[in-house]
Amino acid sequence: MTFANMRKGGLLALAVASLLASPAFAKVTVLGWPGGPEETALRAAADAYNAKPDVAENDKVELLFFNRDGFWDKVQADLAAGTTAFDANLLATYSIGRYAPFMEPVELSDEAKAVYGDSVLKTMQYEGKQYGVPTDLSAHFMYYRNDLIDALLKDDAAKAKFAEISEKHLGKKLEPKTPDEWTWDDYAATALYFTQAVNPDSPTRYGTVLQLKNLLFNMMVFQSLPRAYGANWMDDSGKITVNSDAYRKGLETYKLLYDAGATPRDSLSYEFAEANAAFASGQVAAMMQWNAAASDLTSKDKSPAVAEVTETVAPPTGPEGRFTHIHGLGFGLNKNAENKEGAKAFIKWLSSKDAALIYARNSGAPALTPDVVKEVATERPDLVKLGEFASKYGYVMNGGTSAKALSVYELQAKEFTGYWSGAQSLDDALKNTEAGMTELLK
Amino acid sequence: MTTISQRAPSSEFKLLATPLVVFLLMFLGFPAIVNLVYSVSQVSFENLRSPQITGFANFAAVWNDSAFWQASWFSLRFGVLTALLECALGLFLAIFLSPLIEKRSWLLAILMLPLMVAPALVGLMYRLVLHEFVGPVPYYLWEYFGASFSFLGPASAFWTLIVVETLQWTPFALLLFYMAYQAIPKEIVEASAMDGARRRHRLWYIELPLMAPTIVVALLIRFIDGFRVFDNVYVLTGSGPGGSTASLSIYIYEAFFKQGAIGKAVAASVILFVLSFSVLYGLNYIANRRKGAR
Amino acid sequence: MITALRWLVFAVAAIAMNFPILVTLSTSFKSARELSTNPGLWVQSPTLENYFAVFQVSDRLNIFLYLLNSLAVASLGTGLAVALALPAAYAIARGKVGESTLLPFIVNLRAVPLIIFAIPLYMMFQWLALLDTRLGLGLILTIVNLPLALIILVNAIRDLPGELDEAALMDGASRRQILLRVIAPVCRPAIVTSLIFGFITAWNEFLFGLMLTTSKAVPITVGASFFFAASGGGVQWGVASAVMIVGALPPMLLGLVMYRQISGSMTAGAVKG
Repeated sequence: MTFANMRKGGLLALAVASLLASPAFAKVTVLGWPGGPEETALRAAADAYNAKPDVAENDKVELLFFNRDGFWDKVQADLAAGTTAFDANLLATYSIGRYAPFMEPVELSDEAKAVYGDSVLKTMQYEGKQYGVPTDLSAHFMYYRNDLIDALLKDDAAKAKFAEISEKHLGKKLEPKTPDEWTWDDYAATALYFTQAVNPDSPTRYGTVLQLKNLLFNMMVFQSLPRAYGANWMDDSGKITVNSDAYRKGLETYKLLYDAGATPRDSLSYEFAEANAAFASGQVAAMMQWNAAASDLTSKDKSPAVAEVTETVAPPTGPEGRFTHIHGLGFGLNKNAENKEGAKAFIKWLSSKDAALIYARNSGAPALTPDVVKEVATERPDLVKLGEFASKYGYVMNGGTSAKALSVYELQAKEFTGYWSGAQSLDDALKNTEAGMTELLK
Repeated sequence: MTTISQRAPSSEFKLLATPLVVFLLMFLGFPAIVNLVYSVSQVSFENLRSPQITGFANFAAVWNDSAFWQASWFSLRFGVLTALLECALGLFLAIFLSPLIEKRSWLLAILMLPLMVAPALVGLMYRLVLHEFVGPVPYYLWEYFGASFSFLGPASAFWTLIVVETLQWTPFALLLFYMAYQAIPKEIVEASAMDGARRRHRLWYIELPLMAPTIVVALLIRFIDGFRVFDNVYVLTGSGPGGSTASLSIYIYEAFFKQGAIGKAVAASVILFVLSFSVLYGLNYIANRRKGAR
Repeated sequence: MITALRWLVFAVAAIAMNFPILVTLSTSFKSARELSTNPGLWVQSPTLENYFAVFQVSDRLNIFLYLLNSLAVASLGTGLAVALALPAAYAIARGKVGESTLLPFIVNLRAVPLIIFAIPLYMMFQWLALLDTRLGLGLILTIVNLPLALIILVNAIRDLPGELDEAALMDGASRRQILLRVIAPVCRPAIVTSLIFGFITAWNEFLFGLMLTTSKAVPITVGASFFFAASGGGVQWGVASAVMIVGALPPMLLGLVMYRQISGSMTAGAVKG
């Protein structure tokens, strides 16, 4: 028994050794974001690049994908240990400071500024240096059911009910409005009105769906609300300003909606997929969600119950204005790359106008300047909206690109979900967050 | 038995244990040394190769971190409860169903199926199964009872996780118990039956005592596995609102990768290792003392 | 009457424990459209499209490679672990070698999240050129499997009567010979059990598979998640279910083959014991 196994192990070692012996090609290996439209777009871009006559055989691009679960953790381990498995790799605004020590600044093409604009290029900068090409932009939309809102706006009895509900829960009489005029209070009132626990006549079970899982990405969705009340991570002198009325207002609004039953009771375990499934079931009136959900939620095949009545607008406004969190995904250069020159050439090309248009036409989501986006407006009307929202309402918190940005989101996720679930008070949550962030961002 | 081991040259035994020890030294020796250095250093992903030794600050940080104790408490409760539930259920099923399984052994294969699915994927599946709008469980509850029950809310998440873990790993205990039950020599059972011992008495005074070593081992294994639970909980609820469903493994994983606090993560593991080693060592010591007393 | 009750208990246990598998099976035959409209277990218009998606081999996705990788690393990680654990278990149980140190030490390895070894192991593997190889992952899985194999085998050998060894010693056999000719055959159920559990554990391991492989040696647990990340981080439940069913088949088949071994050899063991 044991000897048979040992022999098996020996054979296996031999087989593996022969696998190892296969010759390595001096290509450019690019690590991409797997599975979604980003992959489709990168494939198209790589094919176009490889077809160019002036790209040498040795510099042709080969793509590599991990899986999404644990992607950033794995890339972090790879980079920190000085991997040579890829020459260029994906990076994101919120992780740029963490990866910068293992990457090299890159030079973009001369067209980059005209194609993307300064605010978008900034999403790939760290300490004033450009670390990548911003190929995809993520922002938030307010998704809503126009059939429900239209009916509400036409119905006087409903308006009275709406005013009654908003007075009871929010302390002031509000009137229904169209979503592009919403303040955060209007959104909250609408969410409550369409909740059966609050309004038994509501056509939907829940007015909204919040993603409250203890997960850093959910904090990005959340913080556009306090931002509209002037929230920031720290002021210009570096003092942490999270213990503020703005964050208080945002946290309380979410808590109020959760406690009133305006979002499913399991929301504390919800993330992107769960929230989409809830909305697609037709039992939710409106939600804040990533722009990436748009294609699924408006597809008759994937979301037959809501596809035809789902619309998107920018997030609601507040006293300080209207805001959406933005972050970019892009490609940068691994410091230990084996084919550095080849990788540099690819990155430079990727930042050109031609490449950006190929990327956009193949389901990528680059945020392009108005002049450039015109050329793909008929095929990708959503990119027009994305570019407009990003440039008008996009923001990055002070410290949002620092080496500890991810840790800050983690900390907020833990403390804030603790408050929403009732495990700790608002004061404690804010105090702990302030103390933790002071430690992280010093 | 004791006479043999006294007489036998222990060098022969040492030789038999050598391959295992050499293997562990080869593959864990270097990582263990690196980790010990990390545990007393200020180290993050940026300075993996040049950690700054700073003394026992990491240990102090872990010791004073309320999240560490919260996670330890979660792991302990989770490990004890799931081990007890799995072993109780497994023991009952193994004995109660053994007349069926003896005749049709493929029944055992059906009961073992849950073990074949990776816990991470089981966690993923439960995200679907328990989802209020697309999951079958809430769907049937809503259809037949008109109720929408919250499975993963703050009050119920812990118990849902216990049930998920128990349902997947009861077959593990069941299999061990079924084998131990079958290994009980038939003569003993028959002899006692001839003495007119009642079924229940036979179970309590003959069969269960014979299975006791296996029961202890099963409880130990299931406790350890419950204590270190990671994949399914991490996929299903993450570390939970306010860290309420973070097991020690999740705590360490997040310190390691999410916060990049490698020294702290390793220090927490060292504390865990030392504590559990002392417990096992102590148990072993007591067991040996007892044997000696007898 | 009591037999009927036994069947009832069996049915309840089988359905409850296998519920997620039943849901997975049903989901794997649903189209994306049906998924969002029909949460029930019954599939209205079954489709194989999810399975076609899984078995479509491309330069990016190759389910066969992942399955083969998993098969190789799980076999190595299990076989080697048992091969190392059996003699050590014998030495611990009979010779009391390391009973109070080595045994708790190794058992402890199961309690500590091994992921803390990820970074040093990564650096070591880089140096040994073991990254992204089946051999490398197989060796790690050996470490993962050792504690359980050792617990089961020590327990089994402790259960054996000492007269077995004594008789053989009288005949002048060495300890190694006793282990191979006397102990190992009698312990077959325990060996098979640790092989099965080891194989399942190794097959289902995720974190080291993720950290230590990139493309050539990717195991099925990691490869599986390549399939279901859909647009924008959502989950394509249909494809996810299909790939889970496919990924669980090999250990299921192994279980089916091996449980005969267990039930067959159990009676033999009982007689000798």
